Amino acid sequence: MSEGDIIPPLSDTEQNEDFDDEVDEEELITAQKVLEIVETAWKNELCAPEILQHQTDMLELMLGQVAHMEENMKDLDKNDFRFIVHQMELERIRYVMASYLRCRLQKIETYTRHILNEEETREVAEKRLSPEEFKYAQEFAENVEQYFQQVALQYMPNMQRAEAEQRIVRPNLMSHVFIKANVDVPSVVVGVDDEEVDLTAGSQHIIPYQLVSDLIYKNQAQLI
Amino acid sequence: MAKSNKMFADKAFELVKELERSSQTIPPFDDDGVRQVLEEIKAIFEENCAQAANYSTSGDRTLWPLLNFRHAALQRNKRCLLTYLYKRLLRIKALRWEFGPIIPADIKTSLCEPEVNFFNTYSKSLASYMRSIGDGQGIDLTGDLRPPKSLYIEVRCLEDYGKFELEDGEVIYLKKNSQHYLPRAQVETLVRQGILQHIA
Repeated sequence: MSEGDIIPPLSDTEQNEDFDDEVDEEELITAQKVLEIVETAWKNELCAPEILQHQTDMLELMLGQVAHMEENMKDLDKNDFRFIVHQMELERIRYVMASYLRCRLQKIETYTRHILNEEETREVAEKRLSPEEFKYAQEFAENVEQYFQQVALQYMPNMQRAEAEQRIVRPNLMSHVFIKANVDVPSVVVGVDDEEVDLTAGSQHIIPYQLVSDLIYKNQAQLI
Repeated sequence: MAKSNKMFADKAFELVKELERSSQTIPPFDDDGVRQVLEEIKAIFEENCAQAANYSTSGDRTLWPLLNFRHAALQRNKRCLLTYLYKRLLRIKALRWEFGPIIPADIKTSLCEPEVNFFNTYSKSLASYMRSIGDGQGIDLTGDLRPPKSLYIEVRCLEDYGKFELEDGEVIYLKKNSQHYLPRAQVETLVRQGILQHIA
């Protein structure tokens, strides 16, 4: 994807005016950087067995950016070559965002109970789901439970009902993933016998997810 | 199946297999099958209760393996039944993504009432989630299902649809067997509904 030329009709100063309610750090971020972050988040999410940290802020910035670009493009000549290129780029960005959110929903629907239980133990800043996703997950869990009750569970003998615990679906965190190190990471513990490996920047590995999940979280490595 | 070969939980397992094998969008809800499984569960449970009572009064240890066996049969029945229901839910969810918030009439006849309720709640919840993304801007996640390859696609019209207005205000007339070159994003829904066919 040619991120370089996605947002020429817009300078950084204009962008800052749009988002001056964001914190300082984010005001300085360029549209291209936002796109990079969203794309990385998308790739990580697609490859990771569990649900990752939500990226609502970045996504909102990106959405704002897309709306802005659409606005700017209204003035362009439809037959201009640049118009077609920009339009295509917009379609791609929209696909990435939709695909990213869809992927998260899919995980939420599959591991609903597990994710909700985990969220309860997390601090506010550590929450993996955005408030909207959390609401969705709760509604979904309730909906499925109600359906099971209506169709089957209510007709079963007493003892069989209180076993919702057994029905929790959990992701397999030890499934293998491909990763690429973004920076040098010394002595990563791999395997049960405390074997250690140094990852060099740019190197690629195949490894059980759980052993490197914190590297993904700290953005020292990404899933590919 | 000969009666002598019948085992506990056969019927429940049958439900799951039937569903797995069917190539329909969603096969009719097997009301009868589900009821039979529930009856079997109940019967086993009652038998077990009776014997458990017997066991605690007489202390007859020979009953113990039988109790355990029945309990396992109960668990299996329950598990198969819930699997059947859950697998159906997955297909029902897929309906929402494929056809939008309204179930086509011919499919609706295959669903039982709680399933229709589930679909409606699911649909509502998904819609309100999609509206709430990005501080109320909203994204339609059911669009953009495939990575975009080109802005315009060539489509053939499979049925008389009538007038269709594009975003820029241009009105085209979709007639059966006519071919058009249209913006992908705007006609994606029609393609999924089977009104247009993507060619080339």
